Amino acid sequence: MIGTLRLLRFLLRRERIGLPWWLLGVTLLVLVQSTQSQSLYGSPEALARLRQTIGGNTAAIAMSGPTRLLDTIGGEVVFEVFAFVAVVVALMNMFLVGRHTRADEESGRAELIRSARVGRHAPLAAALALAGLADLIVGVLVFGVAAGTGLPVTGSVLFGAALAGVGITFAALTAVAAQVFENTRAAYGAVALFLGAAYVLRAAGDVSTDGSLSWASPIGWGQRTFPYAGDRWWPVLLPLGVCVLLGAAAVVLLARRDFGAGLVSPRPGRASASAWLRSGYGLAWRLQRGALAGWAVGIGLLGVAYGSIGDSIEQYVRDNPQIADFLPGGAADIVNSYLALTVGLSALLTAAYGVTSTLRIRAEETSGRAEPVLAAATSRLTWLAGQLSVALAGSALMLAAFGLGEGVAYGMTVSDAGQVPRLIGVALGYLPAVWLIIAVTVLVLGWVPRSAAALAWVVVAYCAVVALFADSLDLPGWTKRASPFAHTPRVPLEDLAVTPLLVIALLAATLVAAGYAGLRRRDIGY
Amino acid sequence: MTASTEAAISITALRKSFGATTALDGLDLSVAAGEVHGFLGPNGSGKTTTIRVLLGLLHPDAGEVRMLGGDPWRDAVALHRRLSYVPGDVTLWPGITGGEVIDLLGRLRGGLNRRRRDELLEQFDLDPRKKARTYSKGNRQKVALIAALASDAELLLLDEPTSGLDPLMESVFQRCIHQVKRQGRTVLLSSHILAEVEALCDRVSIIRLGRTVESGTLGELRHLTRTSIAVETADPPYGIDALPGVHDVVVEDHHARFDVDTAQLDAVVRRLAPLGVRSMTSTPPTLEELFLRHYGDEQAAGTAAAS
Repeated sequence: MIGTLRLLRFLLRRERIGLPWWLLGVTLLVLVQSTQSQSLYGSPEALARLRQTIGGNTAAIAMSGPTRLLDTIGGEVVFEVFAFVAVVVALMNMFLVGRHTRADEESGRAELIRSARVGRHAPLAAALALAGLADLIVGVLVFGVAAGTGLPVTGSVLFGAALAGVGITFAALTAVAAQVFENTRAAYGAVALFLGAAYVLRAAGDVSTDGSLSWASPIGWGQRTFPYAGDRWWPVLLPLGVCVLLGAAAVVLLARRDFGAGLVSPRPGRASASAWLRSGYGLAWRLQRGALAGWAVGIGLLGVAYGSIGDSIEQYVRDNPQIADFLPGGAADIVNSYLALTVGLSALLTAAYGVTSTLRIRAEETSGRAEPVLAAATSRLTWLAGQLSVALAGSALMLAAFGLGEGVAYGMTVSDAGQVPRLIGVALGYLPAVWLIIAVTVLVLGWVPRSAAALAWVVVAYCAVVALFADSLDLPGWTKRASPFAHTPRVPLEDLAVTPLLVIALLAATLVAAGYAGLRRRDIGY
Repeated sequence: MTASTEAAISITALRKSFGATTALDGLDLSVAAGEVHGFLGPNGSGKTTTIRVLLGLLHPDAGEVRMLGGDPWRDAVALHRRLSYVPGDVTLWPGITGGEVIDLLGRLRGGLNRRRRDELLEQFDLDPRKKARTYSKGNRQKVALIAALASDAELLLLDEPTSGLDPLMESVFQRCIHQVKRQGRTVLLSSHILAEVEALCDRVSIIRLGRTVESGTLGELRHLTRTSIAVETADPPYGIDALPGVHDVVVEDHHARFDVDTAQLDAVVRRLAPLGVRSMTSTPPTLEELFLRHYGDEQAAGTAAAS
């Protein structure tokens, strides 16, 4: 353990840029939720109405937490924000501990440190101390924000403590995973799996009548302290106990393994390539299949989340008329207006996916991995087309996944299977606009490769700002018309018009061709 | 495979700059079909840039470049079917195994010799089932080498292919290149390890600051090399500094240290033998030393190096 304190100081220095952003994020989430909830449901009547709406909505409970929290306004804040912030805090802890244990060991940095007068357990102890310190700050910040926005002091202490408890649990879990797995990605994967399971278990528990499954989840422990709604203190002891046990396990495992090794050796891969991996296309799909699946599942689940409250949106807007201002069609055709809004949001997310996927072209180039491919008998056109095929088809998949998710969830609440094809079709209506953004990315990749990433993200950000805030910020009309999304009919609120979609698609094809012309002329890798 | 009479690679007055930096400043290179050609130069002299131009990845600013009878920029894809390439700094896709990369690169080129691939895996002692992220620099280099050597390409472009290999693997590599040479295939081997070039190459081109400064057979370039000698003799080694081709002599009692032009090595050893040699070490000069000695002064004086 010699050197732990010195290492901790060093880790704090290494984290001086990154950690404050996590802390700021957590603080802002709680701050925004607390002020927003108190202004929307501040009166007992409003809170009672909300209790009634949410109480009957299984999906909302599964996403948020146990309904007992809705007894008070403070509890309502915890109900809305706790599970989400818990995930953020858990991820923060996972990265903090993983980065300074297994990742350092994998990169060889830890070898340099361990060769100095530093105990075997010092790096692990320092990483855990760092995480503990970060969680303490999270607890204090959450307490400060909650109490500062007028919520009761005792409940606010418990709110902060419960979140910090989730944090230390995942820090200790990561410490164990870092001993078990030989590479950092596998360790992160295992922790993320536990985090997902923790979320799902508490969702299942909160929906059921007895809630017993929630007790299998660290997030459930935190929520079942019921801050502001009973203030139950003893569940705070659970993370402390688990943390001690897991910490001890990590120490024992660390002593039983060699430096650089894990307890589970990585699974060997294929000795020779499958028949798929034979061209620029095969390679591009192979490289991006993981990200593609991850995005599709994420966007699909978002669709389920939005779809599940589609039916109650009318009731919700009647209770909270100010919400109608956010809907493109106002209060007149609420459900379709809501569906158009959510599909529009998914289209923006899909555009972000398309840009990340397309920018891989540049990453392949600058990392030098494009070189052996282009030095073989692969033309630049095939290489570009391979990578681009993932972005183009992948964005169609994202929109379809969202439409499927929203269609299934909404269709189930209104007992109409026809919603599935309808909403998939609606979502795919945004495909030309997304393609145009991808095409702009190709254009800048072809002609100004060094600025391509920055320019492409500016375009996405611009479209997002215009789509979300053009009306409320009172931006001039031309700013709006510069976004392809403004020319996409807002189905199902508006009728589907084919001409603008064709024009957008044609423009996209032209820009891709222009981008290829640039790529063909320029040096690769500079 | 028959060696054609046309040069496999012919470059004249090639220029390439990136913004304000001039990478190639009138480079000439001629590689005959069927020869192993050493491409020597210190780091940053333009070897990699030249190879990237040959691969059609970079567009030349000026100059004439021909490879295998075609234009590397215009006919890139057709030419790439006939060559294989090993980059100097091999980066691979972290989630794909070495075996998969070898197969992929082979297929992208238009096929590879399966039996040869498996032999090479054995010879280079590479585990093809490991993901590329777990490979060391040497192992990544082996992946690229096996992919290149398992092909039947008529031209091999190798950019410092052994910089991460240990001596054992270096000798495997040299065996493979000898075999390639026997098959009449052409190799352009960029390197800054003189010993490797001496062991493998028929002809050598030396470049510095983007220009060719020497080109010829190793015998023709012998005058460039100097060997460092440290010797301990029974009788005090007097009079060594008077011999032709001997430089920088330091004598202490029975010990002497000096450099000698390799062409004069034989005469110097004959002179030493009667003194009773107790121990002797000889070290070939590094290429960097060679360059500093031969061209550093000329560059400092601002005179252009001979091309």
